[in-house]
Amino acid sequence: MDLTLLVQYIVSGVVIGVIYSLMALGITFIYSIMKMINWSMGEFYMIGSYLQYVLIAALLGPERWYVALPLAMGTVFCLGLVTQRLLLRPMFVGGIERRDEYATIITIALMVFFRNLAIVLGGPNQYAPRDYASPRMLGPLPISGNRFVALIATLILLALFAVVIKRTWVGRALRGSAQNRVGIQTAGIDVLRLDMVAFGVGVALAAAAGALLAPDFLVYPENGAISTFKGFEIIVIGGLGSILGSIVGGVLLGVIEALGSVFLSAAYKDLYGFLLLLILLVFRPTGLFGERERTV
Amino acid sequence: MLRRLGMWLVVVLVVVGLAGPALAQKSVKIGVLTPLSPPGDASAGQFIVRGAKMGAEDINARGGVLGGRKIELVVEDDAGTPEKGVAGFRKLATQDQVVAVIGQFHSSVMGAVQTLAEQFEIPVFSTQASARGITEQHLNYTFRTHVIDPDRVQLWNRWIKQHGFKRVALITENTDYGVGLVEETKKQFKTMEVQAELKTIIFDRAVVDLTPQLLEIKNWHPDVLLNGGIGTPAYLIIKQAYDIGLFPVVPMLVSYDLPVRAEYWKNLGDKGNYLTYVVYYHPTMKLTARGEAFRKAYQEQFKEEPVYGAFNAYIQTVLLADALNAAKSDKGAALAQALLDNKFEGWNGTISFARGEGPYWQQWSPPILFTQYTKPEQPFADVKIIFPPELKTGDLVLAPKR
Repeated sequence: MDLTLLVQYIVSGVVIGVIYSLMALGITFIYSIMKMINWSMGEFYMIGSYLQYVLIAALLGPERWYVALPLAMGTVFCLGLVTQRLLLRPMFVGGIERRDEYATIITIALMVFFRNLAIVLGGPNQYAPRDYASPRMLGPLPISGNRFVALIATLILLALFAVVIKRTWVGRALRGSAQNRVGIQTAGIDVLRLDMVAFGVGVALAAAAGALLAPDFLVYPENGAISTFKGFEIIVIGGLGSILGSIVGGVLLGVIEALGSVFLSAAYKDLYGFLLLLILLVFRPTGLFGERERTV
Repeated sequence: MLRRLGMWLVVVLVVVGLAGPALAQKSVKIGVLTPLSPPGDASAGQFIVRGAKMGAEDINARGGVLGGRKIELVVEDDAGTPEKGVAGFRKLATQDQVVAVIGQFHSSVMGAVQTLAEQFEIPVFSTQASARGITEQHLNYTFRTHVIDPDRVQLWNRWIKQHGFKRVALITENTDYGVGLVEETKKQFKTMEVQAELKTIIFDRAVVDLTPQLLEIKNWHPDVLLNGGIGTPAYLIIKQAYDIGLFPVVPMLVSYDLPVRAEYWKNLGDKGNYLTYVVYYHPTMKLTARGEAFRKAYQEQFKEEPVYGAFNAYIQTVLLADALNAAKSDKGAALAQALLDNKFEGWNGTISFARGEGPYWQQWSPPILFTQYTKPEQPFADVKIIFPPELKTGDLVLAPKR
């Protein structure tokens, strides 16, 4: 095996893993705050990709993709706020006993609704915005310009996210909410409003992944299915609720899948991630960076 | 008493008089089971529906079938998955009571529904599903007016030999079609004595990042790359091969006529240039009167050149109307027998269903041609046929090195 080739596979896996971690971060962030799994995460990814395509194709032109990106994220953030306010808030204020089941039903219904809405509005065909940048080399790896842009943008978004969470008042409140919902209410913080913000931010991260990957992975009604699937794998590998875990889990999954599909068989690419996940669950059930939940 | 009886008699006569013609005019239903949503090739399904609808409109405008009964299409989405295909076929057979089903595009779905066709005794047509096994099972109710993969593979092997390609890579999805292509190519490399090395990669159809597989192929230094993706994966292979510098430096052949669609250039832009691809219809081909009439009507209605899927669905619908008239019955067994006993005017020749050897069972094949785009945004009508030699109008153009 040529060493350059091996490095190419690893770099390729790292790149895609980092981008997928954006999706995983969105899932884990919503879970941390609201203690619910958003099964429609892939559909927010899909909406992000459609918005990016429409903004570029109809309004801004291919050169201004970087303007379309925050617009797409902002729109999905607002959609997330509305969705949380109308459909998910009753979980916490409506005296619902089975919150997990409620959240599961609502988000699965949203998944079906958004997917079919995309077919109704845009048809079942594929679309692709023009390239964000021309192909280039990343070390030894020839890489699509779009993926290079997506990598850089993902790293910037992850850094921004870390700064907001660690250094701002909202970030501290969100961390507090993740640790103890009742506790921060006694400090006078409106937890329900934090839930809205968390859901909006989480789905906006998914939309960013969709918008960034749109030229490479195309825009169509089911394009979010794979990234959701990967996102859930990553959070279990990295540890549910851990931000660092989402990034490390994403990279690990990307590399394992890239190497497995080349050295073993490409037909079972999804299997390698699951094998890693199973092994981790045996030896470390909380994932790499997850912590055992302590309740009194 | 007599007056009362007379009244009842009048009522009965009126009811019978009204219901009689209504019963006589009961429409004949034809099912169109085709992919209309992902993960199936939904664009292909839309073209198939277009063609079938035009076929039904044509027949109805000419007075219908079986003495004036209208053709009614019932469209069902199989989403390119066997489970949805099976559910759709059951619904068409039991609830809608269709007399035949056309529109099958994905070989895996066709493989699943043809067993049901036998069970319900309803003829099922492959419109663009080409796996060998479909007709090789010698089922009574399975018909195909599309190419079969052994013929497709034989042609690309001839092309490989003609150009003297020494290293051939084939990347396909893990479906009946994809796996069938790999097996057939391996088999025919031996039987046709192709003097070239063959590298095959089968990937999961749901995977969107094919970079590692394409890097592996690139580092193997192939002379030609055969792209066996269907729908989205076919686009992903072209895009990602371009991005890593594999295509168009290395010529690529797409295994079916996906690039003729208007969406091709929109999805790929300049990356789609220099692609070679298989087609079954070319605008320069000589058509029958029926084919020519369809082509003109399609151009008028949709303001674009018809694609093969639409041609084939149109012809299958009108062919079924001919067979219904020949059978003088809408029963499946009689219809299947009429399909076997008669010859039908196709879009570019006469269609008949002989029970031949192996996969040539109840099978009619259109021509297979290789064409190539040589400039960005090139309209399909302008592309040259580069293979087979007896039909070619141009030569393979190699891309300049980037």
